[in-house]
Amino acid sequence: MKLLSLRATPLGLNTGVILIGCLLLIAFFGESLAPHDPNKMDLIRRLEGMSWTYPLGTDHLGRDVLSRLMSGTFLSLGAAVMTAISILFIAVPIGLISAMVGGVVNHLLMRITDIFLAFPMIIFSLVIIGFLGASLNSAIIGVALAWWPSLARLVYTLTTDALAKDFVLASRQCGIGPVKLVIRHILPQILPPLFVVMSLEMASILLVLSSLSFLGIGAQPPEAEWGAMLNEARPFFTERPGLLLAPGLLISLAVMGFNLLGEGIRHKLDNRSPFRW
Amino acid sequence: MRNFILQRMATAIPTLLGMSMLGFFMVALTPGDPVEMELRRLGVIFTADQIAALRQEYGLDQPIFKRYIDWLIRLLHLDMGQSIASGRSVLEEFKTHLPLTITLATLSLAFSIVLSALFGITAALTRSQALGNFVQFFSIFLVSIPSFWLALLLLFIFALSLQWISLLGSGAWYDLVLPVLTLSLGSAATMGRLMRDRILAVMSEDYIRLAIVKGLSPTLILRRHIMKSILPPLVTNWAVTFGALLGGSVIVENIFNLPGLGQMALQAVFERDFAILQAYLLFMGLIFFVSNFIADLLNYWLTPHFREQSGSQGGTE
Repeated sequence: MKLLSLRATPLGLNTGVILIGCLLLIAFFGESLAPHDPNKMDLIRRLEGMSWTYPLGTDHLGRDVLSRLMSGTFLSLGAAVMTAISILFIAVPIGLISAMVGGVVNHLLMRITDIFLAFPMIIFSLVIIGFLGASLNSAIIGVALAWWPSLARLVYTLTTDALAKDFVLASRQCGIGPVKLVIRHILPQILPPLFVVMSLEMASILLVLSSLSFLGIGAQPPEAEWGAMLNEARPFFTERPGLLLAPGLLISLAVMGFNLLGEGIRHKLDNRSPFRW
Repeated sequence: MRNFILQRMATAIPTLLGMSMLGFFMVALTPGDPVEMELRRLGVIFTADQIAALRQEYGLDQPIFKRYIDWLIRLLHLDMGQSIASGRSVLEEFKTHLPLTITLATLSLAFSIVLSALFGITAALTRSQALGNFVQFFSIFLVSIPSFWLALLLLFIFALSLQWISLLGSGAWYDLVLPVLTLSLGSAATMGRLMRDRILAVMSEDYIRLAIVKGLSPTLILRRHIMKSILPPLVTNWAVTFGALLGGSVIVENIFNLPGLGQMALQAVFERDFAILQAYLLFMGLIFFVSNFIADLLNYWLTPHFREQSGSQGGTE
């Protein structure tokens, strides 16, 4: 029986780790490593091609594309991380309470998640942004509000499974309080699988946030967020298509990194052996 | 079957009510008084008395629950108010923009189902390591590319380099080719990966092993055993994908400059046209809801022993 090679060799996982590692380095040190000031305009040298001074050329205001990309990494990844944290802040308590209290509360909370899930995700975020006014903060709130229900369901399922373990039952019979139970026994069980899922979700969050910025309803120029950079470069698509290449490639690499990381860990944990002809 | 439909309809009512509440309160609770905003837009200064009179005229002095009921009754009569920006009724705006978006999403769904089957089955069943890895990698690549960037790449290749199509669009049917391609490549990759995972999961089952030992041919096993067991979750996934495609159409319509619902909604975000946004949210929710409902019916039909399936399944995968 042959195993899938991608599954057997952690090549995908390694690539993911390396990609994310590099991006994190750039996110934290990019600002200081950037060859130029990302916001310094030079209107004489606008829309220039690659050169030694400007490795990736300049944009329509003569700003260095490479420096903008590097200093924008923190903002782009940071926004995605903030969104992920906001989602967890809503989803984990709701999922936990729903599973631990049960009964009417569970029914009510799950109904509410159902209602939120009834809308397509991007559309829900878009409408929330519409009411809040276009900005990166609105985008983060919009995406988090549209996203939490599926995670809340996952937390609920994980917690129900965790609660069914014998040692949890034993602790409960010993009279351990609910808060202590959650901290000591439930969280350690649900957090590892949750983080694997969050790594995959990070990829999608990054995609959605950059899409919103690209549409002009997320991060606003002159912020060097990748999606916003693409949006700014759009009018110059025919003139210098290369300007749209770099930010898009960087978004794709970051998304791919998170996807590979999540997939890799998931496959490592999964040890089924399907038959192969 | 009849019972099942009736039962599903009954459970749908609270969800639909909840959706309408969410849509209503989102507007009702938005900071900023609609009357004052309207007046500021007109640029006139009114006395406090006149504002109060206007509030009464719009029914804003009523308790919020009463306002919700009134609003719901008007909604059931398809009266969704007027667009502030264009002055036309929301219903009319929808009538102009809807066909394009529905065509786009439906074509993309059909195309991505075909593509995903191709991806999924190849990736799961191929004997060739190289081909399997290639399909796997290619699908991860497609999943990771933002759709707007893919669209720009396609435009770059077909409009700028090859000059097969015009950047501005020509109003003919083939304007839809690149948008459909953009939308379906991304979702086909996601769906194909799901399909591959499902097939591999079924392949670990004993009854497939038995079928192989019996000497059935791979195509027969695929058709008779594997397809039968993986189709229901896939159908559910198609409904979810349809919702994602409706959302994705916002981006694609924007790039290819197609006057669909997405463009309308995006415009409404910039103009803060709440009536349009509210109707858009509810309408898209309704379409998504109906597509999930159809998926449930299909699943019921596909699996005779299917009795209890908890509600509509959303989620990312």
